[in-house]
Amino acid sequence: MYRYDEFDHEIVQSRVKQFTAQVERRLDGRLTEAQFRPLRLMNGLYLQLHAYMLRVAVPYGTLSSKQMRQLAMIADKYDRGYGHITTRQNVQFNWPELTDVPHILQDLADVEMHGFQTSGNCIRNVTSDPYAGATAEEIEDPRPTAELLRQWSTLHPEFAFLPRKFKIAVVASKTDRAVIRAHDIGIEIVKNEAGETGYHVIVGGGLGRTPIIGQTLRAYLPREELLPYLEATLRVYNRYGRRDNKYKARIKILVTETGIEEFTKQVEEEYATLEPLDIAVSPEEVARITAYFADPDFETLPAHSDAYKAKLLDDKDFALWAENNLAEHKQDGYAIVNISLKPLDLAPGDITADQMRAVADLADEYSFSEIRTTHQQNIVLPHVKKSDLHALFEKLQKVKLAADNIGLITDIICCPGMDFCALATARSIPLSQAIAQRFADPVRQRAIGEMQIKISGCINACGHHHVGHIGILGLEKAGVEFYQVKLGGDASENAAVGQVTGPGFSQEELVDSIERLVDYYIDIREDGERFIDSFKRLGMAPFKEVLYAA
Amino acid sequence: MSTLKHKGKGPQSLTANELREGLNVWLTAEFEWSRDYKMALQTEDEAVMEKMQAKGDADENDNLVVGVYFIDVEPDTGLPVRYREKFRVKGPSYDTADELGLKRAN
Ligand code: HEM
Ligand code: SF4
Repeated sequence: MYRYDEFDHEIVQSRVKQFTAQVERRLDGRLTEAQFRPLRLMNGLYLQLHAYMLRVAVPYGTLSSKQMRQLAMIADKYDRGYGHITTRQNVQFNWPELTDVPHILQDLADVEMHGFQTSGNCIRNVTSDPYAGATAEEIEDPRPTAELLRQWSTLHPEFAFLPRKFKIAVVASKTDRAVIRAHDIGIEIVKNEAGETGYHVIVGGGLGRTPIIGQTLRAYLPREELLPYLEATLRVYNRYGRRDNKYKARIKILVTETGIEEFTKQVEEEYATLEPLDIAVSPEEVARITAYFADPDFETLPAHSDAYKAKLLDDKDFALWAENNLAEHKQDGYAIVNISLKPLDLAPGDITADQMRAVADLADEYSFSEIRTTHQQNIVLPHVKKSDLHALFEKLQKVKLAADNIGLITDIICCPGMDFCALATARSIPLSQAIAQRFADPVRQRAIGEMQIKISGCINACGHHHVGHIGILGLEKAGVEFYQVKLGGDASENAAVGQVTGPGFSQEELVDSIERLVDYYIDIREDGERFIDSFKRLGMAPFKEVLYAA
Repeated sequence: MSTLKHKGKGPQSLTANELREGLNVWLTAEFEWSRDYKMALQTEDEAVMEKMQAKGDADENDNLVVGVYFIDVEPDTGLPVRYREKFRVKGPSYDTADELGLKRAN
């Protein structure tokens, strides 16, 4: 796993000192709010609807048990005993006090964490596949590439004041678990015909008020050219990206307005003027970074575990959980475990300090101390022996982390909405709970199959509603919340933006409408079809009709 | 010409966030800040508003509060007009800490 090096250590420690002094100067008035605001944002500290909010970076969603325990300590000591996992794999605390933030940052620094690149017009925390280093599907672990990008972009002077924020995601499997096509730059690790490993570079994706699916900038980029090529891309963006209008400033607008062909030409021209070798890192450096992510000491085990199989027959709840929450591991005898943070009665993505500690203990006991956060606002233990799965499951049950709904209709993505967010137009959490309650029946959830509902409390689309199979946007008119629906969005490797169905719904109407929609789908689906497949086959019209049938 | 920054209509209250704790506060009739909206001074009197603004500016300068602004108040209910401001008054309708009885440790 990544071991933070000297470079990071110094930067993080000096940032804590710097910010501690800045807070002091703010409190005694030497800094005005106008001066202080950009400084606090650079450290992930926002002022929200009711209080401050601190966003902690979790690079490519990888956490150690030690870091998780520290997050639990922070949640207890400085917040209200819980944290929230975001769609960018980060962790947010909803209630810190300004005077405590320097202490929190010091506590984070003690476990090599911080809030850099979680705010502002810089290259944001790089996200990746939560199954990285574990899935049988991947060409290689995508995290060394993500880490290379992190080191390159952290405090890069040329990219500290981009026209707008810039988000990069990296995957190395055909199955896209990081929504790379909804990022400013999406990187897919691929092999060319000669069998060499390189990069498929996708540009200009994004959500927000103008959702756009990214397009291919380079179908195959040799490995050593990655940084110089991205540098050329960012230079073109820095030069031509619109700074006059915040809503047109993302690279997606530039790419759309310029056209992908012309944009590609501009990047290639810029690239031709660079000295790639000045920017590219040496193979030794790449090897050094890659070594951080070496496999843990897996045992040599048979592919099948008899103990596991016996428990599946023995314990029905365990079998149901195993059916939904596990994924294939690259190492025989191991499994990837998804821990759902979508119980029926709590907000999606929230985790209490006690649960954090329990997850940390379980990671130590069963998963080489490794933990991942997912953009679906869940948690992953990447390397668990099949023979340990039942014991793990029983311990998860004790801390109410054994929900068996991964990928099902109640595994809803949901932003904080009006309950916490200063930009919100409507609430999102109560709606997600109402939907989860309506579909609580585990048999019914399974009958429905894979279904992704995603809810945002305003057009900024932090809850990914544009790419939900059912996407929901909360709006408000004359003091009344209403919800606009999109259908047919897709966050996978077949990424698509959903289409708006028509007029909005009240919360109560919407839950009934979704139920009608789901029942209709079950009626008309063909063998093996997921909701999204039926929608693609039949198009909007029949679904729209049942949605508005009341 | 009025020097008031507010462009609101009808009765007004003045709100801000505490600089240290970050929590929402409203200016009271005693010209102090309260976390309890029920204590908020509501007025349509421009002269009083001028004084409220001056107090807000002064306390922002003295690093007690941040982000001072006027909000419209509904004359019949006494609640803020804007939906968002109603939420600032009521607090989150859902908070995991409330749900589970969790608290800050100290
Ligand atoms: C402090 C509260 C938050 C603020 C002020 C905020 C602000 C914003 C804004 C302004 C955008 C639109 C960017 C654009 O289109 O240029 C955005 C997008 C986004 N935010 Fe948030 N957000 C907040 C919380 C969250 C949370 C809780 C999550 C995850 C659950 C999140 C994840 C995202 C994602 C994934 C996007 C869309 C991707 C894109 O940039 O195109 N944000 N946010
Ligand atoms: S989508 Fe809107 S309401 Fe939801 S977190 Fe983002 S900015 Fe806030």
